[in-house]
Amino acid sequence: MAISTEKLSGILQNFVTSTNDVQGAAVVTPDGLPLATSLPGAMDEERVSAMSAAMLSLGERIGNELARGTIDRIYVEGNQGYGVLTSCGEDAVFLVLANQSAKQGLLMLEIKRALTELKLVLM
Amino acid sequence: MEIMRLVVTGPVGAGKSTFIRSVSEIEVVDTDRRATDETLMLKKRTTVAFDFGRLQFGPEMALHLYGTPGQSRFDFMWDILIRKAHAYILLVAAHRPHEFRSARRILGFMKQRSQIPMIIGLTHTDCPGAWDAENIAIALGYLDANRCPPIITVNPNQSASVAEAVIALVQHSMQGCLV
Ligand SMILES: Nc1nc2c(ncn2[C@@H]2O[C@H](COP(=O)(O)OP(=O)(O)O)[C@@H](O)[C@H]2O)c(=O)[nH]1
Ligand SMILES: [Mg+2]
Repeated sequence: MAISTEKLSGILQNFVTSTNDVQGAAVVTPDGLPLATSLPGAMDEERVSAMSAAMLSLGERIGNELARGTIDRIYVEGNQGYGVLTSCGEDAVFLVLANQSAKQGLLMLEIKRALTELKLVLM
Repeated sequence: MEIMRLVVTGPVGAGKSTFIRSVSEIEVVDTDRRATDETLMLKKRTTVAFDFGRLQFGPEMALHLYGTPGQSRFDFMWDILIRKAHAYILLVAAHRPHEFRSARRILGFMKQRSQIPMIIGLTHTDCPGAWDAENIAIALGYLDANRCPPIITVNPNQSASVAEAVIALVQHSMQGCLV
């Protein structure tokens, strides 16, 4: 079944514009290809997608190897902001970029909400 | 214990992951995911970060083997892996001439970042339509045979063959240290 990339894009755009401190988001395949993206202008969607896939795969592997169980999310925190990767079902990975003033708890909640929406389209 | 880091690179489907699986003494760390791109024409799963295997090489040395992804969208992984490597082998499927360009591109990428010793391993030489080493060298841009790195034949599915390739790579890199 074809995934509606239009719907995915719609959800992402809405998520990025309506969520405080969120700068970009992407839904990519586990082998690192973009399905839908809404990213800051300077970022290359192909690169971002490949990196997301690489990072999630390593994170999952580390989770496994170090007995952390199934990985919910991978979290990168820098002095310029956050990058959060969440597995979005079997066929997709969800990446969110937020600036440094984002409140972590709130951000996670918003991500969860967006995930529910995305999963409905990806099913 | 000395550690030598070897990188196994090359285009999609050349046999990098298989190569490492064939000789590693530990369960290989693989990051293969279901392929959804043109890789599907060749195989179902594709490496998205790296393969990692380990091989004891004599009492004093451990070899750490890192396999790269083949697609250029993962070139940030090529970059990460090559910078820490002591030597590398470029695997090229001898029967898929349309991929020589991609092999050449990887080569260029590595050369730009690293001067470490390298050899070329031809895989799939048992398959119909396989090119011979001389012509592949030319296709990869080595027009002068004297300036061409060593080219060997390897079957990643056979551990004895892979072991030979690994020995060739280690020996070549040690020669490099002497001069
Ligand atoms: N017949 C034959 N098959 C090979 C040879 N080398 C690799 N293969 C097969 O080609 C495929 C390569 O897959 P893989 O190792 O995942 O390639 P990678 O993309 O370079 O990691 C596997 O099915 C291997 O069994 C070879 O020399 N001869
Ligand atoms: Mg592989």
